[in-house]
Amino acid sequence: MKKGVLILVCGLVAAAAAYGCIYFACTASARSLQRTDIPELAWLKDEFNLSDAAFKRVSDLHAAYLPQCRDMCREIDAHNVKLQALLAGATNMTPEITGALAESARLRSGCQSMMLRHFFQVSQAMPPEQGRRYLSWVKEKVFLPDYGMPNEK
Amino acid sequence: MKNNEPGDQEEALRKVLKEWRVGAALPPRFQEEVWRRIEQAERAPAPIAPSVRAFITRWIGTVLPRPALAASYVAILLAIGVTAGWAQAHQETRRVKNELGERYVRVLDPYQTPRQ
Repeated sequence: MKKGVLILVCGLVAAAAAYGCIYFACTASARSLQRTDIPELAWLKDEFNLSDAAFKRVSDLHAAYLPQCRDMCREIDAHNVKLQALLAGATNMTPEITGALAESARLRSGCQSMMLRHFFQVSQAMPPEQGRRYLSWVKEKVFLPDYGMPNEK
Repeated sequence: MKNNEPGDQEEALRKVLKEWRVGAALPPRFQEEVWRRIEQAERAPAPIAPSVRAFITRWIGTVLPRPALAASYVAILLAIGVTAGWAQAHQETRRVKNELGERYVRVLDPYQTPRQ
């Protein structure tokens, strides 16, 4: 009986140990990505198999883009406050609301142009095949016309 | 010697039983209680747990220690552990990478960037 119980326990311990070892070994890459200073860029390097040189070019482009992005965020936020104030007391369309909506559209278009320019630059900093894959992925993520609706795939 | 005959013993026992009188009174609703217990016993399911436990105990004690079976058992559990660990890790890695991809897009898209 003792021998049987010992075998039973050994089997369970072996299974648990195998599970733990494999799990930690196979998630090591994901954990190391999360531990980096800029995890999203580390992910980009890993996902698109970038060389160190290509990654340096992409990182420089990323760093140069972020201030523009922040400026755009501020502009959008300021405009949204204005639009909300106009909409708060409105019961009819007014020329001010029409103007504010046109400005929203202009801002969105400017924002999309800025992003698209950056995505093209980043894709050109990558090896051609990876650049194409990157563009296809990022266009789907940012320009997919879902109008805020959940994807039905 | 005559009293040791089986027929005589039976006769003596019969005589004693005839003379025996129970003095104590039966508890209240005795008969009803007896029938209730009989019905309860008939309704109760057959006790299977002890026999299952006995089977498992016997299996662990006698069948599992056979070398070929023990090796197969450990090997199967090891394989299950490896497969489950790999599947779980694969799922977790995919989740983390998806999340980082989304984060990359959120950082670049002013309409998705989280505001403070």
